Amino acid sequence: MTTTLTPPSTATTEHRPVGRAVRLVRVASGIVVAVAVALPWMVNAYVVSLAATALVMAVLAMSAQLLVGLAGQPPLGQAAYLLVGAYTAATLATLTNLGPIHLLAATTAGAIAAAVTGLLAVRVRATTFLMVTFGVGELVHAAASQWVPGGSEGTHTPPVVALPGLPPMVRPGWVYLYVLACTLVIGAAVIVLTRTRFALLLRGIAAHEPRVQAAGHHTSRLLLAAYTLAGAIAGAAGALLVAVTRYVSPADAAMGISAIALAAALIGSGSMIGACAAAILLVAARDWAGGLLSGHGSTLLGLSFLALAYLPRHRLAGLFTRRDREGT
Amino acid sequence: MGLSGLVNPYTITALDGVAYGLLLFVIAAGLTLIFGVAGVFSMAHGTLYLAGAYIAWQLADGGWVGLGLALAAAVLVGAVGGAGLAAAVRPLTDRPLDQVLATLGVAYIAADGFSTVFGAEPRSVDPPRALAGSVSLGGYQYPVYRLGFIAVAALIVVLLIWLVERSRTGAVVRAVVADPDMAEATGLRTRRTRAAVLVGGGVLAVTAGVLGAPVIGPAPGVDATILVYSLIVCVVGGLGSIRGALLAALGVGQVLTLGVALVPGAAAFVLAAAMLVALTVRHRPSLAGRPA
Repeated sequence: MTTTLTPPSTATTEHRPVGRAVRLVRVASGIVVAVAVALPWMVNAYVVSLAATALVMAVLAMSAQLLVGLAGQPPLGQAAYLLVGAYTAATLATLTNLGPIHLLAATTAGAIAAAVTGLLAVRVRATTFLMVTFGVGELVHAAASQWVPGGSEGTHTPPVVALPGLPPMVRPGWVYLYVLACTLVIGAAVIVLTRTRFALLLRGIAAHEPRVQAAGHHTSRLLLAAYTLAGAIAGAAGALLVAVTRYVSPADAAMGISAIALAAALIGSGSMIGACAAAILLVAARDWAGGLLSGHGSTLLGLSFLALAYLPRHRLAGLFTRRDREGT
Repeated sequence: MGLSGLVNPYTITALDGVAYGLLLFVIAAGLTLIFGVAGVFSMAHGTLYLAGAYIAWQLADGGWVGLGLALAAAVLVGAVGGAGLAAAVRPLTDRPLDQVLATLGVAYIAADGFSTVFGAEPRSVDPPRALAGSVSLGGYQYPVYRLGFIAVAALIVVLLIWLVERSRTGAVVRAVVADPDMAEATGLRTRRTRAAVLVGGGVLAVTAGVLGAPVIGPAPGVDATILVYSLIVCVVGGLGSIRGALLAALGVGQVLTLGVALVPGAAAFVLAAAMLVALTVRHRPSLAGRPA
């Protein structure tokens, strides 16, 4: 499995065609961001709120990608930290409705939860890592139904305020723009993170862990740090989810959410932008196309997982990964 | 009754825990062998249990004939389902993550199919009429079916442990768990063993669904619950180990019944701690020689 996650060589950086590709990607990203900002004026409120949900899922997919794309360890429990973040935001909502404070608190709470539960996960690798994170995620889900305010019924929160002095965001368009801005900030932070020495060490773990250990690095500690960061990002996604739906329930940590995040990361094959795009596509398949097929969204999702397993995505992966790592 | 000192609400709950634990063992034994032999973490394992529970709801009519029919159907569905999963993961050998995705996809499609066909509400399955009543245990009423279930499940446990640890078939299975390459080199047909274990695990899970339906009835979401608890049993018991799975299943059964009665809400923490302890104690330097 690790071979699928090993980043391709970047030896071609100096060639001119790649430089052109970089410009092309920059132009394309600019267009995508422009369209994303203009979206609330282009489509109806339902699609806008769907797009906001898709952005939340994109943030969660980045969290999964940090682990599977960089460190080569597939997590199947990221929704648990989203839930921790969401409940942190919902609890804070009784004190303040300032969105950025929710976001910071949820990020911190997600990081703490991941640092504690990560002690379990980093003891194992590969498929067993997936199994353990899945177990931990489901246990958090089960514990949430017992402990959180509102129980399994969930709890409602008031609309958040983007900045002090602004009115609460009630209309889907404003919420969407707030979530978009937060997603871009988080995305920028993640992309900076992927260019650090730390990220290189994580890639080393994915490629050949004993070699990294032999170089004197404590790989389990590195993985725990990555797991904590991934938990922080998932926690931030939780705060955004509360801003979008103004409601949180333990069902937000259902297995399906973690599975979509992991699948999106795998479709993105190592690229953060790819993971975001895939998350948006999967949410579209589940909610929008599933709505057209009278509620058979989960069949559609199952079919996309099957397609993901059988299609030769490894051969298609190279293109996307190279572009992302040099172009953004 | 001389045992009356022993019979109190807690021992009655503990008896429930034994039933729950044995049920989990029958399911998790398949999962742990499938992982040990074929290296597949089958996300569709809970789905097979749910299929069995729906078979029981559909066919069990309160008589022995209905139960017999349901069991026969369970063996058939389990074998077909297991063979189908074996065929599905066959092209994905050495790509464990893709195997997880494929079985997850199957689980999703099946779950959607179940809720379309059987509806979204939980169904309750009545045990056969002959076992429907309750028996007095030192002043407490206890369902006869649950006692019968414990007996049948204990029989399955004994048979399974005999099959894996004493029979020639079991020796082949354990050889493939221990060292697939060496097993293949000595002439064992590892591919056929892998498929057979998937079929066997499927039959066990669907049969457990039929027998367990009066205990944990069919409802949407039961597949995920069963999958998680049997996964925890596998992790705590050690992947690929039958005896470990038995001990872990009985422990998890107690945590989920007696533990919940004693300290409500602590079950998740206890199970997570158990996984942590099991992984720490059995912690092998992760990648020495086998890149998992």
